[in-house]
Amino acid sequence: MRFKTLPVALFGALLAVAGCSSSSNTPAQESGTLTVWLMNGSAPQSVVDGVNADFNAKHPNVKVDIQIQQWSDVTTKLDTAYAGSTPPDVVELGNTLVAKYAAAGALEDITGKKGSFEGSASWLQSLTESCTYGGKLYCVPYYAGSRAVIYRKDMFSAAGITNAPASIDELQTDGQKLMDANKSDSNFSALYFPGKYWYAAAPFVWDFGGDIATQSGGQWKGSLDSSQAQQGLTTLKGLVDKLSRADKTGDEAKQDQAFAQGHIAMIIANGWEVGQVIDPKVGDPSLKDKLGVFPIPSHTAGKTAPVFLGGSDLGISAKSKMQGLAQEWVKLLAGVKFQTQMATVGQVIPNNTTLLDLNANNPLLGTFATAAKNSRFVPNSPNWANVESANVLQDMLVTIFTGKQTIPAATSAASSQVAQILNAKS
Amino acid sequence: MSARELRRIGWDAVAVLFFLLMIFPIYWMVTTAFKPGRDILTLTPVWVPLRPTLDNFAGAIAQPFFWNDVLNSILIVSATVLVSVGLAFLAALAVARFRFRGRAAVLAMLIGIQMVPLSALVIPIFLFYDSLELVDTLLAVVLTYLAFVLPFMTWTLRGFIVNVPVEMEEQAMTDGCSRTGAFFRIVFPLVAPGLVATSVYAFIQAWNEYLIAYVLLRSGAHQTLTVWLASFTTSHGTDWGGLMAGATLTGLPVVVFFLALQRYIASGLTAGAVKG
Amino acid sequence: MNPASAAAAAGHGRLAKSTLLRPWAWRPSAGATPYFLLAPALLVLAGVLLYPLASLLALSFQHYGLRQLIAHSGEWVGLDNYATALRDGFFWKVVLRTAAFAAVNVALTMVVGTLIALLLERVHRPVRVLVTAGLVLVWATPVVVAVDLWQWMFDFEFGVINWLLTHIGFGDYIHHNWFANPLQGFAVITVVVVWGALPFVVITLSAGLSQVPRDLIEAAEVDGANPLYVFWFVVAPILRPVFVILATLSTIWDFKVFDQVWIMLNQRPAADYFLLGIYSFSESFRVTQYGLGAALAVILVVLLAGATSGYVRHYMGQLGEEAS
Repeated sequence: MRFKTLPVALFGALLAVAGCSSSSNTPAQESGTLTVWLMNGSAPQSVVDGVNADFNAKHPNVKVDIQIQQWSDVTTKLDTAYAGSTPPDVVELGNTLVAKYAAAGALEDITGKKGSFEGSASWLQSLTESCTYGGKLYCVPYYAGSRAVIYRKDMFSAAGITNAPASIDELQTDGQKLMDANKSDSNFSALYFPGKYWYAAAPFVWDFGGDIATQSGGQWKGSLDSSQAQQGLTTLKGLVDKLSRADKTGDEAKQDQAFAQGHIAMIIANGWEVGQVIDPKVGDPSLKDKLGVFPIPSHTAGKTAPVFLGGSDLGISAKSKMQGLAQEWVKLLAGVKFQTQMATVGQVIPNNTTLLDLNANNPLLGTFATAAKNSRFVPNSPNWANVESANVLQDMLVTIFTGKQTIPAATSAASSQVAQILNAKS
Repeated sequence: MSARELRRIGWDAVAVLFFLLMIFPIYWMVTTAFKPGRDILTLTPVWVPLRPTLDNFAGAIAQPFFWNDVLNSILIVSATVLVSVGLAFLAALAVARFRFRGRAAVLAMLIGIQMVPLSALVIPIFLFYDSLELVDTLLAVVLTYLAFVLPFMTWTLRGFIVNVPVEMEEQAMTDGCSRTGAFFRIVFPLVAPGLVATSVYAFIQAWNEYLIAYVLLRSGAHQTLTVWLASFTTSHGTDWGGLMAGATLTGLPVVVFFLALQRYIASGLTAGAVKG
Repeated sequence: MNPASAAAAAGHGRLAKSTLLRPWAWRPSAGATPYFLLAPALLVLAGVLLYPLASLLALSFQHYGLRQLIAHSGEWVGLDNYATALRDGFFWKVVLRTAAFAAVNVALTMVVGTLIALLLERVHRPVRVLVTAGLVLVWATPVVVAVDLWQWMFDFEFGVINWLLTHIGFGDYIHHNWFANPLQGFAVITVVVVWGALPFVVITLSAGLSQVPRDLIEAAEVDGANPLYVFWFVVAPILRPVFVILATLSTIWDFKVFDQVWIMLNQRPAADYFLLGIYSFSESFRVTQYGLGAALAVILVVLLAGATSGYVRHYMGQLGEEAS
């Protein structure tokens, strides 16, 4: 078929330039199945369909098999998948899990290919950090989520509050006003804060200058027991004691549905939780116009607290036999065209700072995107996932909020435990 | 009414109370399936769905791959039940009717296997099938389930067979039946209730199993209903209405299977129970 | 009634006595037949489980983290994993907790199960069918769903139990957290485990009870024996084999309890809630120390074998009696 050879040859050259590794795969031989694992609920169907369409336009004989995975017990599935001989080619990984799999050799090192990913020059700092291990790049930022405070504007006006609080002090006074105005409701919380909600507690620690752990000379040292961290936690405890009736030993899984029940004025929440609160199936759609968002305030007036940047990355498996194709697919999803759609349709924070203002005009989502600009990440260690599994931070918070331990004692114990786990030989 | 009758009615009342207590969670599950989301997580319980809706069921069925998963579950369970009953019966015959070297060892092994926690074997089992390139196949799942139900079924069926007096077979043989003829005419019908009872056990075990199905099956088209149920918990929280609707749907076939055979179960367990 | 006549009665009406003595009498020289009959089942068992079980054992002697898992090769460390486990105070706490938990659950299951089975003997037929149907429904519910339901019923804010207890007047249970205190938490988990275990036990015991000859019981009652005496001296001896089997199975199942604790505590149980099965899984999949997790699983099996050895030996002894 001579008339095909020119475009095919060019195509092959293109692939070669793009750095496709592996075999003697000439484009004409390109066929097979590219297996991609995406988490349930991360990408809107239209985005996935769009990526596949663009991908198949260039590689018509390659079938893209998207397999949706569930979050529950996902590490079990990932461990077995990577252990097997045919892991999926592309996997969406929660950003706090990447270091663990990168260190274990599950992910392909794509440091040399970074430049070939569109927009990589302005990737979100924290997400890029999460993809970096030992100085090398092991995955591509996918999307992020940050937190801010969702509040009931109607409850605020009813309590005589005109402006959203701009500092922690104001948050305290406003919260008190709300509690007073709703004294008769024994279920009312001005700020609903479940005890195990570490990601909402971290901003307070970071705001006062504290941190979870710091690394020097290859050794990790826990820093939750520093005076700054303790100050942040003390402030938070003060708020929780006075303003929250949430379960001090529970987590934040049901907080949106609780918020929709109407006895809560504020929750610290992720961007997509707005949708949950007004969802007709699980929430209360009538709250749509009563909701507002303000960033988590700092103790310094005029500033906002740093937030934890959650999110996911896309990793290519080291054992994958379709490295080049996998990279192509990832490039599409992580590229400007579809990241824009992730922001506008998916309502998440895209992986690129230049796209952060896409939702700026949306009164609710815009604040989350702005908050993302001041974000921090967890200690980037392969053992971090074990800290999460061991519930060190959640358990520490619970003992603090229930009063079982004093803050100095609780933070000291947690600090040493964190250091121990992070420094463990894996 | 005699005192005896009155006492009986008293016992009736106690039994009904027990029934209500036992069944309450099931009642809660089914009624929740009919409630709209807002009535589910409420501070004051909603006892009876005031605004019943079929949305949860519709949503559950509309989930991608629902019918695939139904088919997969049915295939896996049918294969497991049929094969396991056959194999267990033959094995039970051997252990019940024959005396041979290694019999005690076999019996000890049957009990021993049941002591191993399944979760501990997940990785070895996965790697085993991976080396055979059987990952993401229904066959691998069926084989694993077989291995896990066979010990209990063999053990139980042995009890049933032991209960059938040898004399009956001997009698049939003197009456002119061949060995296998005696067997099928006499033993088999008497043991049938036991076969039904153990097949129900296998059905329930295979239908409701989660961990193995979750780890071995990957693509949406190959998963089972139990794994499908996990999809109601997303990164955005749990869709309780959908989950309860899904759970109700998932439980229906088991209940139907059970009700169809419940006559045999009671008598089946009867025949084998006392002698064990 | 004296024990002698009770023993005689045990032989009455039970078809099986001769079978008990010589179940295989008519095939004294079995030849290869039993092996052929056993072969298919043993083939499946060996084929599917031999390699994984051997792997599990092998894993327990290695240091096997995630890196080793992906590379398919671990470092041999001999008995180190076992030593680590056995030397750890936490491990022993978990073992004791598991044993205590299993003991309580088995006892409750057997006692309540027996009581219900006895109850079912005394009610009218429609009520018996109703209760049996209810038990069947419970048995048919997938464990994961059942635990989700129970967890929700005991929920801090949205739970029905808290609301009921408060409104019936047992005190203020609004916003009561059932899992803050492990003792209370395990009480809840025990309720869930027993609830799920009752159907099988009750149905089996009911069937067994219906086998006890009515005339025996009536004779005893005519002699003036009260219900307790009747149960203890007439019914129980006949039911003993069933009890033993049910107790053995219950012990095995309750020792291995995993789902109820795991799901009830949102897949993140605190250290105080660790049972042996949870500890093993957590070491393997959460901390990704597969070698240590495997060692813990092996220890669990050994402990379980020890715990049930009494029953098993009795059972094997029974088999031995059958031989004579």
